[in-house]
Amino acid sequence: MARMKFLCDAERCIECNGCVTACKNEHEVPWGVNRRRVVTLDDGVPGEKSISVACMHCTDAPCAAVCPVDCFYTTDDGVVLHDKDLCIGCGYCFYACPFGAPQFPQKEAFGVRGKMDKCTFCAGGPEEDNSAAEREKYGRNRIAEGKLPLCAEMCSTKALLAGDGDMVADIYRDRITKRGGRPETWGWETAYKKSDA
Amino acid sequence: MKLIKKRDLTATETASVTSRVLGSMVDRRAFLRRAGLGLGGTAVAATLPMTMIHRAQAAPSAGAGGDVEIRKSVCTHCSVGCGVVAEIQNGVWTGQEPDFDSPFNMGGHCAKGASVREHGHGERRLKYPMKLDGGKWTRVSWQQAIDEIGDQVLDIRKRSGPDSVYWLGSAKFSNEQAYLFRKFAALWGTNNVDHQARICHSTTVAGVANTWGYGAMTNSYNDMHNCKAMFFIGSNAAEAHPVAMQHILRGKENGAKMIVVDPRFTRTAAHADQYVRIRPGTDVPLIWGMLWHIFENGWEDTRYIKQRVYGMDEIRTEVAKWTPDVVENVCGVPEEDVKLAAQTMAENRPGTIVWCMGGTQHTIGNNNTRAYCALQLALGNIGVSGGGANIFRGHDNVQGATDLGVLSHTLPGYYGLAEGSWKHWARVWDLDYDWVAGRFDSGYVDTAADVEEGQAPVPFADPMNSAGIPVSRWIDGVLEDSRLIDQRDQLKAMFFWGHAPNSQTRGPEMKTALETLELVVVIDPYPTHTAVLPDRKEGMYLLPAATQFETYGSVTASNRSLQWRDKLIDPLFESLPDHTIMYKLASKLGFANELTKHIKVENDEPLVEDVLREINRGMWTIGYTGQSPERLKLHMANKHTFNVTTLKAEGGPCDGDYYGLPWPSWGTPEMKHPGTPVLYDTSKSVAEGGLNFRARFGVEHNGVNLLAEDSYSKGAEIKDGYPEFTADMLKQLGWWDDLTAEEKQAAEGKNWKTDLSGGIQRVAIKHGCAPFGNAKARCVVWTFPDPVPVHREPLYTSRRDLVDKYPTYEDVKSHYRLPTRYESIQAKDYSVDYPLIHTSGRLVEYEGGGEESRSNPWLAELQQEMFAEINPADANDASIRDGQWIWLEGPEGGRIKIKAMVTRRVARGVVFTPFHFGGWFEGKDLLDKYPEGAAPYVRGEACNTAFTYGYDSVTQMQETKASLCKIIAA
Amino acid sequence: MTKSIMKTSRALAVAMVVGIASLSSTGCTERSAVTWHEPGVYKGGDDPLLAKQKDSQQIAALQERLVMGQSDR
Repeated sequence: MARMKFLCDAERCIECNGCVTACKNEHEVPWGVNRRRVVTLDDGVPGEKSISVACMHCTDAPCAAVCPVDCFYTTDDGVVLHDKDLCIGCGYCFYACPFGAPQFPQKEAFGVRGKMDKCTFCAGGPEEDNSAAEREKYGRNRIAEGKLPLCAEMCSTKALLAGDGDMVADIYRDRITKRGGRPETWGWETAYKKSDA
Repeated sequence: MKLIKKRDLTATETASVTSRVLGSMVDRRAFLRRAGLGLGGTAVAATLPMTMIHRAQAAPSAGAGGDVEIRKSVCTHCSVGCGVVAEIQNGVWTGQEPDFDSPFNMGGHCAKGASVREHGHGERRLKYPMKLDGGKWTRVSWQQAIDEIGDQVLDIRKRSGPDSVYWLGSAKFSNEQAYLFRKFAALWGTNNVDHQARICHSTTVAGVANTWGYGAMTNSYNDMHNCKAMFFIGSNAAEAHPVAMQHILRGKENGAKMIVVDPRFTRTAAHADQYVRIRPGTDVPLIWGMLWHIFENGWEDTRYIKQRVYGMDEIRTEVAKWTPDVVENVCGVPEEDVKLAAQTMAENRPGTIVWCMGGTQHTIGNNNTRAYCALQLALGNIGVSGGGANIFRGHDNVQGATDLGVLSHTLPGYYGLAEGSWKHWARVWDLDYDWVAGRFDSGYVDTAADVEEGQAPVPFADPMNSAGIPVSRWIDGVLEDSRLIDQRDQLKAMFFWGHAPNSQTRGPEMKTALETLELVVVIDPYPTHTAVLPDRKEGMYLLPAATQFETYGSVTASNRSLQWRDKLIDPLFESLPDHTIMYKLASKLGFANELTKHIKVENDEPLVEDVLREINRGMWTIGYTGQSPERLKLHMANKHTFNVTTLKAEGGPCDGDYYGLPWPSWGTPEMKHPGTPVLYDTSKSVAEGGLNFRARFGVEHNGVNLLAEDSYSKGAEIKDGYPEFTADMLKQLGWWDDLTAEEKQAAEGKNWKTDLSGGIQRVAIKHGCAPFGNAKARCVVWTFPDPVPVHREPLYTSRRDLVDKYPTYEDVKSHYRLPTRYESIQAKDYSVDYPLIHTSGRLVEYEGGGEESRSNPWLAELQQEMFAEINPADANDASIRDGQWIWLEGPEGGRIKIKAMVTRRVARGVVFTPFHFGGWFEGKDLLDKYPEGAAPYVRGEACNTAFTYGYDSVTQMQETKASLCKIIAA
Repeated sequence: MTKSIMKTSRALAVAMVVGIASLSSTGCTERSAVTWHEPGVYKGGDDPLLAKQKDSQQIAALQERLVMGQSDR
């Protein structure tokens, strides 16, 4: 069984925000809710790097672990989804998530905190696939249509990859080989930087 | 953090948690999101509908494979030409899919491209024709608007002549609309017509065309896969042409070395192997500094120069002055950096050069572009795959609108304005030349009063054969003393037809000009900054134009490829396609029959295919003749068959063609020329898309041969240089009888540019020759103010010590009909009161004047506020902190109230502002001046309010990359 | 470390109480069938996608699409 994964190639990411608006476009998430965002380190100075971040669909998802109403479930291919009818909008998953993925829409101008919303890997939620109810609550279900997340499919430079983790790794490995074997993965320098550097 | 209100807590928390996790950082986006949320953000959230038009609303029962219709178009933002795939249900644009088949974007989109579906809903569009009535926007019918506007311009024509009406067109037009618009202005009888190319790449077109023949990008984005080196100067592709970065980074992964030269450490620079920071406006010294090392070390390609380049010795003489210490003093770049860049380019051939507005928008823009060309010629990098001058154009169809002559100095196809050019086009239009000439002004002022007093008529520039006022100077066309303008009278009416005014400099004067005009007409999908800037009570109309997604036609990408757009949806609200509006207006003005003599018209809409066929019949100069609607549509249907590196179709119905038939696609469509993927590439035959440099400047100059020597395209039967083809030349060569009887009749007395049968081109190519001859490129343009490109300090410079050595030009009495100032401005020292250099540029989320993209909530949310990038040292000097309000003031007094973003992205002494904002003026939000419901979500000060005077000496390009300013806390 | 775990579990407990309380209150007033919370057990709606994911054709389609759309061609 495949495990669905995102991977953002920091050497290719140019912080163009195509993934962010592709997500807005596909799921029509309201102003202020960002299922995906681009994060930049060392902005404006040599070493500047960006990656696109959304729900990472963790294997042992901390959001699910802390959810007081257990509204999360994981599909066979590793996509972490949740039931908005169960969600109470408490925001505890937001504390647990290391990536800031959970979002809380404002229902009205004066901020009643809504149900949690997050990246679904374009796989909808616990409703009939691509029914009006599913689209309203979770957005479009591309996976059910045989398509992959639009953010990755529309990435301007093919920096953001999404799909079967093994195959994503293959695509990425090919690139690394072409670049001369120098690993460029996000966090590599932090993990393996020489101490005297 | 003090800007944050309680109710915005969630988004803020998210941002801060993310930043905690991923390290401490303040990036531009987070900065703005935080800054904006307290102000724009909540205001927008309150006014935004909770749901957009949902798929569910369009078709409640639609599931996968339902009644979804797929239609294809091309992104309307930049010149990369990304394919857009739309899902349409019940006439509503309900979904957008990646266009994996497109060899340009392979599915990819930037923020703008990935959000174009929103334009198909257009909450904030201008919805109906509107008229300013007693200071209030009032809805009127199309008929009433056309009638009233028509009556007024006819009255102005009677009083002040046809040149008093200005037709400002657009790079947002399709090719067919652009062509029809230029024809429209011609039949109205004026050359006062222009578009965005004037203020984006006019200095490129002039500089490059005068160097080797054509002024366009020589290679393609895709061809950058083949580069060994890539040299960017004044180009921030990561923000301005994001999908181009897919090709650029592939080139880099294939081993190309990437160098970025820019005053800012751009997001493109973040991906470079070498970043070189220069002082704004010192491109020529930097390039000459590199050439100094190249000549010093003998790295130039002597064989190539001998065969294909004229005047390199004169370059060498100028370059000798730019020793490393002089370069460091002027540019601020140390010797080792300049040498490394030169060495990288020399050791990694073929290499390409990429430039954009950072190089072009200067008073010496034409010198910059020619210096870039000289560098590439010295290295032998032009005319080879992987090399070239990859000039990235801006708007989606700025290349097409330039080619089709929406410019004050030329007719379609760069034919110019000479009598012969007009006669050529009159033949194509099948109109009597004398009738066309009769539409223009007489060329002198001879009033009744003058006759009585026995005064001689006052002559002015020949209205038909002299360049009109450029868009950069329309303000002066309105405000300048009429006796100093080289036409009958000042401008009295302006049509802003798909053109934002906030892209032009000198805001306060622009406001006055807009208030002085008798009539202002905006034809646009959005009201634009024009609608709100002037304080007027009447004399202003807003006409809703459809976007390119609501009509169809062809569009030319930066690499000269033409793509065909399908109509995705019907025009929204009461908007109409531009060509329909042109026809309606022409009907009112009395020349609709002439405008569409051989073009079918249905319900006031000229048939787009017929317009393209007319283009095909006349555009011989640049080979826009082979791209028939049928061939383009075939390419669109078979996108997947084109190789993504070579752009050549491999098998399938387009086998052998290059994608989009990049011009020149010589001869008639029946000749099936495949298009030219790389200009001047002699390794291919002309019939297969090969070429050599164009013989455009004669055969010799001062006794020196200008034709190529021992260099010719593959298979050419003339194995040396040769002049451009004429009927007589065919006869001399003994090739005349290769023409058919019909072709002979059409070709007699004509040349490759004016033979409407295409026979001369066909026969030349049959013998392996380029119709435009085979010459050398020239490094010396003897017709320009600076034949050899030299450095001149900006008019507003902070380096007063360099003014004596590198002074600007003398003032010019009449250039493009207007007095143009240089040294009288530079003479005064403004640098004490205005110590910082002001430069401008793009943001990835917005485009152009930004009205369309700032009206798209998916984009607007990402950039909520106008700002200035300020170096920490300058911020501290001015006691300004990150995120606070500041006033930025230019030396001509224009001032803007914006947010400070303190960053090392800019050097000390340099302030950067993005140019996409509008809807504010000098500290005031003009929200209440927009028609109801048509204001963009995000508004802000136009940086050009603070930008100053300064125009290129050849093209009147405006200077927006090196001015001065001061900043104070607000 | 222990401190943070303690904090977490305290917060969790509070949240659970709130959660159960709100669930049961809606249950009393609006629903005839009450969903009783059972820690660690998902009792939300069924997702028909789960069945689809076992379909080998569906898996192949997604893999094919990944290669077509996201690799450099």
